[in-house]
Amino acid sequence: MVGLSKGEKIFNYCNYVFMVLLLILMLYPFWYILMGSLSDSKLAVGGGLFLIPVGFSVDAYTAILQNSAFLSSLGTTLITTIAGTAIGTFFTATTAYALSKSRLRGGVFFAFIVLFTMLFNGGLVPNYLLIKELGMMNSLWALILPNAINAFNVFVMMSFFRGIPNELEEAAKIDGANDLTIFFRIVLPLSKPVLATIGLFIAVFYWNDFFSTILYINDKDMWQLQAYLRNLIENTSMAIRGGSGTAVTAQMNVSPFTIRMASIIIATVPILIVYPFLQKHFAKGAMIGSIKG
Amino acid sequence: MEQRRQKLTLHASLQPKTKMSKTSIFMKDVVRDKYLYLLLLPGLLYLLVFKYLPMYGVVIAFKDYNILMGVMESPWVGFEQFQRLFRTPDFMQIFMNTFIISFLKLLFGFPAPIIIALLLNELRNMAFKRFTQSVLYLPHFLSWVVFAGIITAFLNPVDGVVNFIIKAFDGTPIDFLTSKEYFRSILVSTEVYKEMGWGTIIYLAAMTGVNPDMYEAARIDGANKLQQMWHITLPAIRPVILIMLILSLGNILEAGFLQVYLLYNPLVYDVADIIDTYVYRRGIQEANYSLATAAGVFKSVIALVLIYTANKIVKKSGNEGLW
Repeated sequence: MVGLSKGEKIFNYCNYVFMVLLLILMLYPFWYILMGSLSDSKLAVGGGLFLIPVGFSVDAYTAILQNSAFLSSLGTTLITTIAGTAIGTFFTATTAYALSKSRLRGGVFFAFIVLFTMLFNGGLVPNYLLIKELGMMNSLWALILPNAINAFNVFVMMSFFRGIPNELEEAAKIDGANDLTIFFRIVLPLSKPVLATIGLFIAVFYWNDFFSTILYINDKDMWQLQAYLRNLIENTSMAIRGGSGTAVTAQMNVSPFTIRMASIIIATVPILIVYPFLQKHFAKGAMIGSIKG
Repeated sequence: MEQRRQKLTLHASLQPKTKMSKTSIFMKDVVRDKYLYLLLLPGLLYLLVFKYLPMYGVVIAFKDYNILMGVMESPWVGFEQFQRLFRTPDFMQIFMNTFIISFLKLLFGFPAPIIIALLLNELRNMAFKRFTQSVLYLPHFLSWVVFAGIITAFLNPVDGVVNFIIKAFDGTPIDFLTSKEYFRSILVSTEVYKEMGWGTIIYLAAMTGVNPDMYEAARIDGANKLQQMWHITLPAIRPVILIMLILSLGNILEAGFLQVYLLYNPLVYDVADIIDTYVYRRGIQEANYSLATAAGVFKSVIALVLIYTANKIVKKSGNEGLW
């Protein structure tokens, strides 16, 4: 090991400075929104918000959390996220497990059927018409089913299942277990890490989903949280610009400025909570996916 | 009895691969794996309904879709929808918008994760490195709705922090999101901001495969850090870079539907309207199903040609392509 040369020291120093600047750039917007959400609404409107809240108030949070439209959209999103994650993770696992067995006749063909959905898709209008013709418009199914299983997740799980030693299954077979019992009693319990990872990815998708509401839901009581948030942001922007659209915030009796920021924070917090778990395995998942893709 | 058994085994070993026995082995395997097929079935059915039926639905681009007749019964019209599409006065503009926005995103968004990955790779303080990575990956997991909210909060002409700074320096506030001049830059920079960290993962993984002895040898020969990156790290990750490049070229008409949809407004349609937003407005909002599907098909065909060409060029230049 040669000691660090002068040039290398300078490089390292610059590199750390660059990274710290990058970190500030990445973190500041979220910090700004958080501080804005905690500001006193009357004081904050005049500007002057940079690093710390202007005044202090949690009125925006209490106003949102008491708003019935917010609560119903949160309810919808909780249902779609939980149901979508459960359905998606389970059937991704069953599909991936069958495909992970190289002895399965026709396995290559079935894997290609899955792979092909990554290369080509029908596009917006045919997907929309499908949901329409299936009679799912304005139902929770339209928010849950179209995105439950995707090829990428199937392949990530498949490669995990291939790593489980075959001896375990063979031993179980000698004891008279069939493939179903092996899958439920042996494989699934051994696969908790990959189930958790894929489950979290799916959950994040459903939590963030906004466009399904725009496409398939007319009834405001069934809006997803992100659609509610989007509507709120549009309304408050218009209100800030001095136009109409004050309806949402007028009834809340807090300035649109802080309401908007608080609602962004509320929509983000659950992601932050699951983020450390998400991070544990996603590097591996992303790698497998990009090789396959 | 003994004799007969012998005869049977002899018979079987003489003709081990007749057509009969092949099918019977196949059937035996299928029966043996019946539970595996049972596990596979729901996933396959799902894909057939929710992925393959819409693929078939693409045929309405060649039909005059009538909502009462459905996909199957509507009359065929050949390429009429495409002709209609190309006669639409705005379509050329929309196509160019899509291409320009997406090209600019590629131009800035493609090298950014490579550069950041190279620099992250040089960090020796592991705790700091992990923390930086965590922060950089995070925006990928936040929705575009949240991002659009942050962007409008920052750029708002009345109380946005950017205009607050402009006003502090006695400038006139700028309404960025309704300005044709700034809109594309906002799209490109926010996209790069959101995805550059996540993009480093694949390159960082490829870099772990580089033998550390090579750096040591280079240092003894007097190579500085930049030379080491240029001559050791970059060549080592070149296959990954090329594959990512082919994939991005295939996505050159994916200008980012949700982002544009959430940020644009009629004042900037001239520079911001892309094929996907056009498909949404004409197709879903105005119920021009066949016309909008034709626009989608047009986009897919171009993407297919591009990814094919890119792969060919990469392979011609002596590198490994996608297939």
